[in-house]
Amino acid sequence: MANPLSMYVPIDQDPQIQEKVADLAKHFVDFVKEGLTDSQIVHYAKLVLIPNPPDKGGTQAILLSTEFDEGMRQYLRVFWEQPGINMAIQGIANIAAEGYKPDPPITDLDSFQNYIESVNLEANLYEAYPDTVKQIKAKKS
Amino acid sequence: MSCDPGPPPAWANLQGLIVRGYTHPHSTHLLFRFPGRAAAAAFVKALLPRLQSGADWGATKPASMLNVGLTFAGVQTATTLGNDLKRFPMVFQKGPASKLSQDALFDLGDSAPANWWAKNFAQSALHCIVHAYAMDGDAEKEIVAFVASAAERAGVTELFGTADNSRFTQSQLPHDQVQFGFRDGISNPAPAWPVPGKPFDAGTLDNFVLGYPACTPFSPGPAGDNPTARFARDGCYNAFRVLAQDVTGFEAFLDEAAKPVVAKLGKTTAEAREWIAAKVMGRWRNGSPLVLSPDAPDDATRDEKVFDYGDDTAGLRCPISSHARVSNPRDQPVFPADFPVPRLIRRGMPYGPAGLEPGADRGLIGLFLCGALDRQFEMIYGWMNKNTFSDVFRPGFNTQDAVVGARDVRGVERTFVVPTAAGEIKCALPQFLTTRGTAYCLLPSIASLEAIAEQRV
Repeated sequence: MANPLSMYVPIDQDPQIQEKVADLAKHFVDFVKEGLTDSQIVHYAKLVLIPNPPDKGGTQAILLSTEFDEGMRQYLRVFWEQPGINMAIQGIANIAAEGYKPDPPITDLDSFQNYIESVNLEANLYEAYPDTVKQIKAKKS
Repeated sequence: MSCDPGPPPAWANLQGLIVRGYTHPHSTHLLFRFPGRAAAAAFVKALLPRLQSGADWGATKPASMLNVGLTFAGVQTATTLGNDLKRFPMVFQKGPASKLSQDALFDLGDSAPANWWAKNFAQSALHCIVHAYAMDGDAEKEIVAFVASAAERAGVTELFGTADNSRFTQSQLPHDQVQFGFRDGISNPAPAWPVPGKPFDAGTLDNFVLGYPACTPFSPGPAGDNPTARFARDGCYNAFRVLAQDVTGFEAFLDEAAKPVVAKLGKTTAEAREWIAAKVMGRWRNGSPLVLSPDAPDDATRDEKVFDYGDDTAGLRCPISSHARVSNPRDQPVFPADFPVPRLIRRGMPYGPAGLEPGADRGLIGLFLCGALDRQFEMIYGWMNKNTFSDVFRPGFNTQDAVVGARDVRGVERTFVVPTAAGEIKCALPQFLTTRGTAYCLLPSIASLEAIAEQRV
């Protein structure tokens, strides 16, 4: 049984920040790949840029979506300790629109974790299979 | 890890149960709701003279004493820290009934949070727990009356979390036993302060006391220089968890599980029952660890705390899903995401009548102390519900703690496998425990309780 993380963060509309968003999206997998692979508890992670209405252009918000084995709260330390994942999440926090910035600022694991929970949307999850990442890997090895 | 944890806290500023297992034979645990800040202040002020700190009490144990815990709602009500309190970890703010905590605790069915506290009050109503300890029954009556009277004078409402509106009271079982007949509380971290340059130890006090996060990966918080962190400093979290134990069900399980043991290993039924009891627990009922005394309990090992599982990777002596081994896997390798192995300071005691008559409510009043409720307490609880934290559970990763696991967790195997030289012995695991209630409390420092009493915070 897995648990979803669905971080939804509206972002600042400043043109320079909009450029950063595109850059973050482009390199997201490079940032997080090693850490997520090592964790052995994440099935996938995707970063989706939600566009503004066509007449406005640019990006309205970021949705960072993953699916975890185990409880999210107990394992977010993995995200804090993995430099690439930490950088990606703090990168999102840094370009968040007013009202979605970390408050208090991210200075330690608790504030990091509290921020993620504060922008995590509740989600209904369908699963085609009950296996965990470790079970899948064990079957393949 | 090379770091400097800084100077240790003054033990006189810590609540005593953090640094010392009291071993008082009597205790009562009283639940309260504060109507407001002034009432909370008056109540705490009245309790302060009986509050036990971590300071050395000398040659004679106090005849009675108490400690105080506050839930997040209690801290909100008792202080004016207001919006700054969002610096507390979300796990404390939202409490054990929250969805993300339940992803580890798995309180399902009769254990569900909706059924907690005998449905007598809402989880959000619980603000304060007073733990009153005494050396004898008269002293217990006196200090409980003292606490109840202080609450009444302050206008604080006592809550009752049992079906018969009684308090949670420690029962008198022989030889440090808990309800399944095992000795408990043998292995607890010693309250030592880390030494710079020494290898990391998950049992040192900086992992439990808030405000000293430099050398611990568990990051006890809130940290930093802000009003909430200053209030929390020298405090410690307590996962207060009341667990009913099905003693008759456990004994019936032993009757059934003994049958294949008799058939396969040629033991008598009585021997087989005790053998399987030891296998599910990881220790014999007298306390002897299976890994040191695999064949029979031994007085020489009954208090043993120092041992490893390194040369028992297959679980031939101590099954890998036994309770003691899952809750403290010691040197057993764990996955990077689960490393390092957390420790808890356990200060639990039994409640309810001894014996086997069915229908009686009996179990454990659990006090699980930690510096990070999610990264220590809930982490281990998650391990107990799903054995996924170590490669020794390969390839299935679908077993659970033989004693504590919630059997209805999706995808887990309800069969306990005991490997022996003569082949595997399997037995079906019933549900042994039902959660009666859980509260996440902060055990504030003495200074912070004084600040509450004087309405300075």
